[in-house]
Amino acid sequence: MPATITPSELEAITAAKVVDARGSACPGPLLEAKKGIGSVSVGSVLEIWSSDPVTKSDIGAWSTKVGHEFLGVLGGEGYERVFVRRRK
Amino acid sequence: MSDTEKLVFMVLHGPDHPEHATIPFVMGCAALASDVQVVLGFQADGVELVRAGVVDSVHAAGFPPLAKLMGDFRELGGTMLVCGPCINSRGITAADLVDGAEVVAAGRFVAEITSATNSLVY
Repeated sequence: MPATITPSELEAITAAKVVDARGSACPGPLLEAKKGIGSVSVGSVLEIWSSDPVTKSDIGAWSTKVGHEFLGVLGGEGYERVFVRRRK
Repeated sequence: MSDTEKLVFMVLHGPDHPEHATIPFVMGCAALASDVQVVLGFQADGVELVRAGVVDSVHAAGFPPLAKLMGDFRELGGTMLVCGPCINSRGITAADLVDGAEVVAAGRFVAEITSATNSLVY
């Protein structure tokens, strides 16, 4: 799932909500994303933290399926920061 | 024909096979989170999973505990259908089942599967 913006652009984003799903196994991060996206307004960004390396592809596929925009991923220390913009 | 997508997962393994018991719930939760309707159909040893309290001791390596997944599945609006003859032969009654589990027979399973976008057997 290709990111839609560059890493430097991602770094500049202030997410409307951050969900910490570190330590959660599949499908935990996806379910946290599902819950979290409903709590941000349309056009705003949700950031999901996950220590599961498959989360970025999972969230990317999910975003396409349900109509949100997968923005990309930034690396953290032992986890990844996944960014999704709510589109509906 | 409805525009709504629906998946049916047939669950045939019980607590003695934690991974086979867990994966349909993982898939079901992911599908529900993706706005897809989901029916879990429990047959054969799979019916043991919906006997109240059984999932509390099922935890496949690499996955969340099955009790957590079952809770998520119900919270997301998934449907759980249980084979009547399968529980009868095991001495299980409807009163023994977890909340939300519905006892059905073959005709209901056929109706769910033939109206689904796709069906998988675990």
